[in-house]
Amino acid sequence: MNELIAVSTGLFAGTITGIVPGAGVMVAMIVATPLLMHFDIIQLLLFYMSLASMVQFTGTIPAVYLGVPGETNSLPAVIEGTKFNKRKMAKLAIGICAVGSVLGSLVAVAITFGLLSVLVEHMTVFFSNATKFYLYIFIIAFCLLVYNKKNIFVNLVLCAIGFMLSVPGESDISPDFRYTFGIEDLQFGIPLLPVLIGFLIVPTIAKMVSASNPNVFLPNIDIGFCKVIKHFKKKLVASSLRGSVIGYLCGFVPGVSTVLSTNASYSFEKKLHPNNPGKLLVASETANNSGQFASMLPLLLIGIPITGSEIVLYSMLVDAGWSPFQFDNVSNNADMIFKQIVPWFVVANIVGLVIAWPLARQVLNVFAHSKKYMIAILAVGMLILNTYLGVLDYRVWLYTICLLVFGCIGLLIKKYETVPLIFMFILGNDMEGVFYRQMLI
Amino acid sequence: MKVKEIGLFVASIISAIAMFGLVSFTQSTAETPDTITLINSGKAGGSFNARTQMYKEGLIANGYNVEFENIGKISQAVKMFKETDKPTIMVYANNQVYKQDLFHTEQNFIMLEYQQPLYVCRTNASKNKTGVLTVAHGKGYDPQLLTNLLGSEVVLVPYKNSGAMLKGILGGDVDMMVNNQGKSFKYIASGEGTCEASNVLPIMGATVIGTNIDVKQIRKVIYDISMDLKFIEYHVKRKLERPSSSWKEELEYTQELEKGYEIN
Repeated sequence: MNELIAVSTGLFAGTITGIVPGAGVMVAMIVATPLLMHFDIIQLLLFYMSLASMVQFTGTIPAVYLGVPGETNSLPAVIEGTKFNKRKMAKLAIGICAVGSVLGSLVAVAITFGLLSVLVEHMTVFFSNATKFYLYIFIIAFCLLVYNKKNIFVNLVLCAIGFMLSVPGESDISPDFRYTFGIEDLQFGIPLLPVLIGFLIVPTIAKMVSASNPNVFLPNIDIGFCKVIKHFKKKLVASSLRGSVIGYLCGFVPGVSTVLSTNASYSFEKKLHPNNPGKLLVASETANNSGQFASMLPLLLIGIPITGSEIVLYSMLVDAGWSPFQFDNVSNNADMIFKQIVPWFVVANIVGLVIAWPLARQVLNVFAHSKKYMIAILAVGMLILNTYLGVLDYRVWLYTICLLVFGCIGLLIKKYETVPLIFMFILGNDMEGVFYRQMLI
Repeated sequence: MKVKEIGLFVASIISAIAMFGLVSFTQSTAETPDTITLINSGKAGGSFNARTQMYKEGLIANGYNVEFENIGKISQAVKMFKETDKPTIMVYANNQVYKQDLFHTEQNFIMLEYQQPLYVCRTNASKNKTGVLTVAHGKGYDPQLLTNLLGSEVVLVPYKNSGAMLKGILGGDVDMMVNNQGKSFKYIASGEGTCEASNVLPIMGATVIGTNIDVKQIRKVIYDISMDLKFIEYHVKRKLERPSSSWKEELEYTQELEKGYEIN
């Protein structure tokens, strides 16, 4: 029952998140905090899996219908999907994407199953400080090179701010409290939620306010589910399988993960079939879902988050008592993936295929007509959430002050992607410990 | 009309005051002497959490109304413990006292539940190694004490917690580690090295403390709960030594043990 609640809420949240432009998985996780704080480890993982999978499904819908990417990795869907829409074939485009996404997820599960025993056997390699050190170097390099149109200076400044915010309180290498400036509440560090709201939600709200209203839907030819399957089987299976494998491999790349999966698969397919929007669309959207599953594995197996939304999930998992430091957890984690996560992941994808499709269009309609109310609800909800968690944490004043300060800064820097800042804020302490130990060893 | 309005206003104020008084009275009467706040200072999966849960069940079985505060972080739990004015108990340990600035005293000490020594483990691969050895230790350990014990030919490598240390030694980061009993047993089980209990390093004592409560009276209840089958199984499974004696002797012993964690 608990698993069902987690999966169904994840699916619902994913349906909305995929459709609302600019609201990614990371934002959805923060908005869902009041619910997620009552979830246990498995429920959190299931919620995240369902949410992330569903976003890949429904993100295609605004991309195809409105030419607006629901997620950052929906860009190929915008380019190829609008071609379908202009020919009144949007339903076919969404249908083949949904079927391809399910296939991509299943291929990802199969590849993982084949590789897992080898991975678990050599798991101690991942325990060493050196491995973590190089991984962090890799992640920092990606943070610098990927975000904000590859503007290294901006990314460096954001990383530096994130790290500085992670410094107050207790470090990973010393029992002393540092940079608390005599404020007792700072002994426990700067709270996570105001940072997330300030640097992520506030800019998102600002962007939503300034975004123009979505276009009117174009009339569409009604195409049945069976026809979509037939079309897929006949023309698109090979593209989908190629996309699955490319997407899976790219899913492991920190920072960019599914964005790289989608774009790499799209580029590869474009070389093979430059003038076939169906194949291009399916290859990129299949890669999306396959990459999504792959990107979860480093976190699930060895406790290293590699995407922005995983960072938020990671901090929630740790709060729920998950201990990625337990060496005997590695085989348990592998066991958990296949016994408790994968079956629900498959179910979530199939349900997604059946439900997301009609539901998403309704949600899209609602959003198009009541955008300002949804923005107001989100803003007030975040304010209440921040105060509520501040009270629970016995640090309500610090939460409020942090929200005001970070919210203002977030507004000022709204045109920048703040993921590098969030990365460094959450992982800064751990990175500091890893780098310090690497110098000693 | 005006007089009527004023009357209504006065009546409203009186009603509000009456309601406030009623609510305050109900709140104060709801907190009978049998209501205890139990602070959970550990995360799910950890020993503090597991023990707190068992005490919660025991207190409820003994007829107490338990208000469970799930804090999950020792520093915040201690802050709450210090600030509360309600009868409150919390699972604690002597290795935290200097860092949290909360010592075991006659006013707060309830019981010493168990004790365990620290272990010094060494990898098989480093058995014949000469020269400088790298040693993993918890960030809260006194470096001077470790250098005195292990000699100056060591490089001390601090880790966040006992689990991270174990991962580090298994990953090949260090030649030795100083860790708690549970993690040392796991290391021995891995076959990668050996461990020995130290008679020089401080002993960790797991305790129960309370505030705004008659500690000697509640000790009887807590002691009985800790002698329950579930608790005994917990202690036996982890080979935890139980030094039961009188309240006074346990307190003196705990205070003696906690001096070992003073960081110079």
